[in-house]
Amino acid sequence: MGNAGSSHAHRRRHAPHGGHPPPPVPHPPQPEMTGNRYVFAAATPYPPPYPNPNPPQYYPYSAYYPAPPVPLPAPFDHHHRGAAVPHMDPSLPHPNWGGPRYPCGPVPPPQTAFVEHQKAVTIRNDVNLKKETLRVEPDEDNPGYYLVAFTFDATVAGCITVIFFAKEGADCNLTSTKEDLGTVTVSFEKGLGQKFRQPAGTGINFSMFEESELLKMGDVGEVYPLAVKAEASSIGDNGSGSEKATQGAGINSQITQAIFEKKDEGEYHVRVVKQILWVNNMRYELQEIYGIGNSVDSDFDGNDPGKECVICLSEPRDTTVLPCRHMCMCSGCAKVLRFQTNRCPICRQPVERLLEIKVNNTGDENGNGNGSSVENES
Amino acid sequence: MANSNLPRRIIKETQRLLSEPAPGISASPSEDNMRYFNVMILGPTQSPYEGGVFKLELFLPEEYPMAAPKVRFLTKIYHPNIDKLGRICLDILKDKWSPALQIRTVLLSIQALLSAPNPDDPLSDNIAKHWKTNEAEAVETAKEWTRLYASGA
Repeated sequence: MGNAGSSHAHRRRHAPHGGHPPPPVPHPPQPEMTGNRYVFAAATPYPPPYPNPNPPQYYPYSAYYPAPPVPLPAPFDHHHRGAAVPHMDPSLPHPNWGGPRYPCGPVPPPQTAFVEHQKAVTIRNDVNLKKETLRVEPDEDNPGYYLVAFTFDATVAGCITVIFFAKEGADCNLTSTKEDLGTVTVSFEKGLGQKFRQPAGTGINFSMFEESELLKMGDVGEVYPLAVKAEASSIGDNGSGSEKATQGAGINSQITQAIFEKKDEGEYHVRVVKQILWVNNMRYELQEIYGIGNSVDSDFDGNDPGKECVICLSEPRDTTVLPCRHMCMCSGCAKVLRFQTNRCPICRQPVERLLEIKVNNTGDENGNGNGSSVENES
Repeated sequence: MANSNLPRRIIKETQRLLSEPAPGISASPSEDNMRYFNVMILGPTQSPYEGGVFKLELFLPEEYPMAAPKVRFLTKIYHPNIDKLGRICLDILKDKWSPALQIRTVLLSIQALLSAPNPDDPLSDNIAKHWKTNEAEAVETAKEWTRLYASGA
């Protein structure tokens, strides 16, 4: 169902083709791009091993690709984002926009490393737990116990499993590391905006656990104090790609891994650390793309500063810089940029890859509109 | 001349600068060269430049936005990061330039530089020294220069 690509590909861009290489843009982040954060379930298929000749030194590589079918203890976590400032320059940015100065010295020569330009492959997510809604609520029937609750969208029927102290095993199977804590599975029908709350009596009593366990981030051992697995019972009526998924492991699911946080009042709150998609026996990690929320809205009128390419100010944004995940350019300007500099225009981190994402807005009315198309890789 | 084939980005930036100017800043393109802007920045309140109207020139080189605009003060100003030719010591105009920055953001940064002089990274050694040894006196001089040269006449 290739859909989006062609019309954009032929447009002429107006970004200048400078004869002189500009100075390189070093790293400090800028206070920019505070637009919507939007979780986009697109990812490229797992590529041939390490196609990039310069794997990053400060980030585990697998984070930007869906992990291979054998589940990895995916080492990336969102909270390291700020720390990923390039290694060459430890002097950190002034947070002050107008304030930073430079030592008025010679400008080092630009370096434009090879940058891979890819197009996104859209994969379909049948069930989505809205991670900002995940929370615990007191169980009225059982004082001291708390129940997991959240809102989710499902385009097919399926079931939800809540697991405390969950360890991720092969093929995204989750098991509780506490034998005395049963897992709870509840089935659901398809529908958008459904509210989930685990049945009374199946919740968690925080006082029964060490605080350190509840707050602990799943490390290499990958035990998360709370995990929710949302499984699609079938692959969906239109069955794309379902033939391969006949085994139990082929059931598509979304896993949300979270930790608890203790607030000032002493109450525990849930904080989502990671979301994982298991689709057609592939494990994908969901990561936010900054700036995409502005570009997926329809009626791009070419004159809205929140949606346009930051370079030409004309075309819609469709290209994300990796690893920093700033969606800030159109593909045309991205192609020009990579010959000029290897820094992200927004945060000045080195660019390793450019990922072009076309969002299909012409989906059907059942909430499937967030993309079922597959772009060919270039 | 340079006006033919003006990139859409420059046209858009110009339109937006004219239709929604940033507070205390005006920038309008020259009639015979749309890459050359006449700029005025009002001295920020609570700075030694308060009450002053500072003229600058801004030029968008052929490589823009891959290269930074060239900006210079035309009004004489007493500031440790601005020299007597009006050249400005500001990282985003040099090695920290990014094509995501615009004329507007550059001018806002210059306005902020007026509010926060940085004598530790000077362009004018004498002024910076003055600032570091006797800041109160340096500020007085800056105020005096503002009255003398930037009174908007």
